Amino acid sequence: MNQLKILNKNEKQEILNKLNKQFGINNIPGIIVKRGEEKLFLFSGNFNEKQIKNLERTVPIEGVGVYFAKLVKEEIRLSIEGTQILKDQINQNIFELNQEQTNQWMKGQELNIKTGKKGFVVMKYKDNFLGCGKASIEKITNFIPKSRRLKN
Amino acid sequence: MRKIPEAKPLFIERMKSLLGNDFNNYMEILKSEPVRSIRTNTLKITPEKLKEKLKNKSWIIKQPFKEYPEIMIVENNLEPGELGRALEHLLGYYYIQELASMLPIIALKPKPDETILDLCSSPGSKTTQMASFMNNSGTIVANEVSLGRIKILASNLERCGVTNTIITKKDGVVLCKKLKKENFQFDKILVDAPCSGEGTLRSTLKTYLMWNIKTVKSVSRIQKNLLSSALDILKPNGELIYSTCTHSPEENEEVIDFIMKKFNDIKIEKISLPVKSREGITKWQDKEYLEEIKYACRIYPQDNNTEGFFLVKIKKLK
Repeated sequence: MNQLKILNKNEKQEILNKLNKQFGINNIPGIIVKRGEEKLFLFSGNFNEKQIKNLERTVPIEGVGVYFAKLVKEEIRLSIEGTQILKDQINQNIFELNQEQTNQWMKGQELNIKTGKKGFVVMKYKDNFLGCGKASIEKITNFIPKSRRLKN
Repeated sequence: MRKIPEAKPLFIERMKSLLGNDFNNYMEILKSEPVRSIRTNTLKITPEKLKEKLKNKSWIIKQPFKEYPEIMIVENNLEPGELGRALEHLLGYYYIQELASMLPIIALKPKPDETILDLCSSPGSKTTQMASFMNNSGTIVANEVSLGRIKILASNLERCGVTNTIITKKDGVVLCKKLKKENFQFDKILVDAPCSGEGTLRSTLKTYLMWNIKTVKSVSRIQKNLLSSALDILKPNGELIYSTCTHSPEENEEVIDFIMKKFNDIKIEKISLPVKSREGITKWQDKEYLEEIKYACRIYPQDNNTEGFFLVKIKKLK
């Protein structure tokens, strides 16, 4: 794993501000760890930064917490787990799917739908949160990873 | 009944020695397909809601234990791979886990805010079960030596939304030594040791072909080293579960006998399990083991219609 970068208070606030603007999220329940330039991991354990760093100096760390979001230019795209963990706080830019659309979405297909929205939207089917898509004028681009897709 | 490979004569002889009159029942159940058991990932969904979703798919769901409603048996004849392809699985609402493999965590009883080491953690069935018990609080250090297996572990932790885990990559013995040097200690430890896999014959038919006595003897040495090293970083009053999915006494009671004689500050604790288990044995071939090893639990496939397992709880004294 690339060296861990545990975000400080200001950096975490910056992420929270973006998530608030995009989805209405007010609280990130844990430490945010950045891997590479884009991937954000959420750690809710009781090890503090010092303990994690100490462990990292002792043994190679391959992962901390769960991948929950990715920085994409000035925006943030939540992963499937990101939308599920934060579901109770997400109150804007939600796109509700029907059963047929959900099937297409979980097969990794883009949806040819005019949503009237632009940018990342949280995909939802009933009480299931299915990650984010990117809405443009005529479609929603799909980011479901291959390992999580329904097979034909 | 399905066709299964022929077991090697030495394996048969050893199992006859272990089981006596019950040997034929054992051989008979090996011929049947394993039960399709799943565990609700309570980090994402309640057992009630999952059951409702699965029933809507016309799956017949049985919850065999009142005190563990998260454990479910799917009674339908599903297509091969159907459990893993279902939307509910892809979204991380359940983990496909053999019932016997759930027992070590039931015995370990992880609690929120504890610090727990899962020494040989891939593919992550028990790590995710721990995280569920802990409601994603406390900290789990999940270790695995193989990079390939770490990828599987990481993928399962992600799918299950496990946020309280740190994954480390190190040989288990070396990891414990390094952690000891830095004064890391754990409230609880799981040593689900690599083993010859005799207990997995129902689900992994190739074990019939791969089994040999040399492996049994060589993994026994590895297991003794792993367990000894792990005990060095268990807190006073801390608890450790040692488990394998095999029946051979060399990998089970002999390992426990070895560490009980090596450490004078540990004891074996009785375990209460929701299934039938048999006592650990105290005699095998020309060897005699300590009497208290009878508190270990042997799980045989014919007793509960599961795979085979062995587990023992060790407590470190003050």
